[in-house]
Amino acid sequence: MYLEINGLYKSFGKGENLTEVLKGITCGVDKGNICVLLGPSGSGKSTLLNIIGGIETADCGTVTINGDTVNHMSERELSLYRRKHLGYVFQSYNLIPNLTVKENIEVGAYLSDAPLPLDDILNTLGLWEHRNKIPNQLSGGQQQRTAIGRAIIKNPDILLCDEPTGALDYNTSKEILKLIEDVNRRFGSTVIIVTHNDAIKNMADRVIKLRDGMIRKDIVNEQKISATEIDW
Amino acid sequence: MRNPLNKTYKREIRQDLGKYIALFLFLTLTIGFISGFLVAGGSMKTAYDESFEKYAVEDGHFTLAIQANDELTEKIEAEQVKVYPLYNKSFNLDNGDTVRIYKERKSVDRICLMDGKMPEKNGQIVIDRLYAENNGIEINDKMSIDGKSFEICGVVAFSDYSALFKNTTDMMFDANKFTVACVTDDDFDSLSDKKIKYTYAWRIDDRTLSEKEQIDKADKIKNILSETGLITDYIKTADNPAIQFTGDDIGKDSVMMTAMLYIIMAVLAFIFGVSTRNTIEKESGTIGTLRASGYTRAELWRHYMFMPILVTVIAAIVGNVMGYTFMKHVVVMMYYHSYSLPTYVTLWNMRAFILTTVIPGLIVWAVVFVVLFVSLKLSPLQFLRHELKPKKKNKVIKLKHFNFITRYRIRIIFQNLPAYFTLFAGVLFASVLLMFGMMMSPLLTNFRTEVLDSKIADYQYVLKAPVEVEYAGAEKYAVCALQTDTGEEITVYGIDSDSTYMKDKAVGIGSVLVTYGLSEKYGIESGDTLELFEKYEEKSYNLKVTGKYNYPAALAVFMSRDTFNRVFEKADGYFTGYFSDKKLTDIDEMYIATVITQSDLTVIADQLDDSMGLLFLLMCGFSVIMYIILIYLLAKQIIEKNINAISMIKILGYSDKEVASLYSKSTGVVMVISLIFCLPLCHAVIKLIYYAVMKKFNGWLTFYIAPWIYPVMFLTGFICYVAVYFLQMKKIRKIPMGEALKNVE
Repeated sequence: MYLEINGLYKSFGKGENLTEVLKGITCGVDKGNICVLLGPSGSGKSTLLNIIGGIETADCGTVTINGDTVNHMSERELSLYRRKHLGYVFQSYNLIPNLTVKENIEVGAYLSDAPLPLDDILNTLGLWEHRNKIPNQLSGGQQQRTAIGRAIIKNPDILLCDEPTGALDYNTSKEILKLIEDVNRRFGSTVIIVTHNDAIKNMADRVIKLRDGMIRKDIVNEQKISATEIDW
Repeated sequence: MRNPLNKTYKREIRQDLGKYIALFLFLTLTIGFISGFLVAGGSMKTAYDESFEKYAVEDGHFTLAIQANDELTEKIEAEQVKVYPLYNKSFNLDNGDTVRIYKERKSVDRICLMDGKMPEKNGQIVIDRLYAENNGIEINDKMSIDGKSFEICGVVAFSDYSALFKNTTDMMFDANKFTVACVTDDDFDSLSDKKIKYTYAWRIDDRTLSEKEQIDKADKIKNILSETGLITDYIKTADNPAIQFTGDDIGKDSVMMTAMLYIIMAVLAFIFGVSTRNTIEKESGTIGTLRASGYTRAELWRHYMFMPILVTVIAAIVGNVMGYTFMKHVVVMMYYHSYSLPTYVTLWNMRAFILTTVIPGLIVWAVVFVVLFVSLKLSPLQFLRHELKPKKKNKVIKLKHFNFITRYRIRIIFQNLPAYFTLFAGVLFASVLLMFGMMMSPLLTNFRTEVLDSKIADYQYVLKAPVEVEYAGAEKYAVCALQTDTGEEITVYGIDSDSTYMKDKAVGIGSVLVTYGLSEKYGIESGDTLELFEKYEEKSYNLKVTGKYNYPAALAVFMSRDTFNRVFEKADGYFTGYFSDKKLTDIDEMYIATVITQSDLTVIADQLDDSMGLLFLLMCGFSVIMYIILIYLLAKQIIEKNINAISMIKILGYSDKEVASLYSKSTGVVMVISLIFCLPLCHAVIKLIYYAVMKKFNGWLTFYIAPWIYPVMFLTGFICYVAVYFLQMKKIRKIPMGEALKNVE
């Protein structure tokens, strides 16, 4: 497996306020797969994603990506690791307000020694015409596309998406999902999507359902369909 | 690839132009002014220090009652010093001013020609440049002295009169009513000898002697002179204010100015700190994403450090350029308006560069560094979740007794405590400056009034020898000058017990009254014993103080004439002068040592007003600018921090005016509270500084802050706030309602 998770535990708070968020998660994702982490609020899916991304630490257990164990890395090593291998997309776009679309994507390109061609990305994302606009001149969908552009331009091995369509309407959500699918196909990135939208599981190679910090289902989706075909 | 985050800087400046212009201007003006002050001061101080050798400034001088004979001169010169006669004659001009005339000096205390030429023929005179300026006298003007007309052929700076002290015991120099002058030898001899003073300067042959060795030599000379019984005046250069005051003052100014720079820089650094913290809070999500994407802490640290450092560095460069050009001229003008300094050359001042460029940069760097170090320590996830502050378990402060609007405002104040703390510190500092700038003129006016109200007589005649007068209203008195253990001159008066001139309090036999100034300066109270020393002898007197007397014109002791004569072992009926309510015309001028009139009593106030007036004005202006910039910057940040909330309450239906009443008026409330608290604090701080400074000066100026200054200060601060309030209204109006909806996460 490209991504291996073994016996992951995570809790927050102390004493009476202790909440166990992850209770022994063990799973894996193959390289180039789209994996959807499904579950209701509080199920631990975002925490799991954040531990995979190295921005949260587990109490115990290991996360290994392509043979590198993330848990054992120092703060600096983690930064470098994220820089080289990971791309992040969040529900809130978090773009830099006084940079243009093009420049916001360049913020991601700066982190890579061999970034993907910028113009190519702008075209792929349908942002070419908007490349010189600043974020507050864009719609939510366009802003999220810019955030995806920023994440993928460094050609990350793994693209981590935390509720990427959470703030978008139906049509825009489908556009974004299509885009993520295209990125996966074109650049071969492994994609992990955290969502509570059950329909999104249909475009995934692998679906992991979480509830109360435990894996309830871990299935390989044999009937994967295109993002354009999914509906909810 | 260049870091794309760098592209934000230009746009950030454009978007926040007001803030950056305000900070830049404030920094540039402060650095420019201080740099100008240090550069001009440094160059002036160097010129002043070099003048000691360049113009062969004396190591001391003495005055004898008669000309020194060869034997005395030889005895003194046996101490490896050279003695030079510096005879001088003082005359009153038609307008009452005093001119002290010398022959041209070739070997000691040489004169620096500032403009025109030195006297080449009889009838020509050069006078002090500063006196000429103060009195609108120009080259080629005429001057009548001792019935003889002189043409002013040049203006000069005497190397031994860089501060125009008429007497070395005076509290303050007087460049308005006193000047030194130089004429040809023939003209000098032709002037009346009635006013001649046989003054001699000495200069040590070995210029490498240590300060202590020089003092030892001066003491030996004093001993030789004391034996003659002819000495009427003696002072070594180290104690001569006419020579030393300027150097001490230039040095003192630079210390004060540097301290002021650092206080301002600390306030500005905190503004940068608060501003940076607000930016981080605002951009928390973006920072989290960047950190999650692999941006290192150091990269973000550099990014957020860049603007404050850039603004400081550019301001320091521009400020330094201003310091060496425009500002230097302003300061030079101020120095030349106070002192009779020789010509100077602008010198590169490494110390000024470090003090005004490197250290301010370091202060800003250190404060922003700490803010960033603390802020950026958080994990990417904390930034993404906007968890920038530790979750406190503190209870929410209950404000149930207040109405909604007041509660809202109080919450805003609590939310922005660091910004408001910076505002308070800045307001306090600006208020101290403002109070100092505003208080000095009324203080001097009050001093003048007090001096005139409490003057003993319209005319105080000091005689060289006792002579009788016909006018029955004239009253005899005795006076002598002693000194404290620190060397400060104290005038001791012996007054008739039934004096008609001494107001309020009669001086009975055995009673010793000290002036309030003397009491305040040395902490002397009734019942204490005051020890005073003879100036040129090792003799001291212990005076038991019985009360205080209001006589602000001098540090003085009053006793009855009988007591005076007994204490100083004088014959009964001994006196040295007259108090009179009108001019006495029947005393031959040769017997008059000096006449003290009203203008002599107020000379210190007049001179301080004249030479420091511009500085007081500059301080007031600077404080007002500081008020406005501080309030503007901090109020702006508070609004920016709350853009979402403002947008949201606008959606709810609040009008712009109501929004301003919530947000800008919170700043107003803090401003008003700060101003109210600052007034007594300022009073205490100023009083502390004032007493410390006055203790270093000769004499005493009564501490006084005119009561109207407090409301005017409050109003000034409040008007500055109102001006900023209207600017903020404009900003609030511009906040779109959509902002809140866009930023909901």
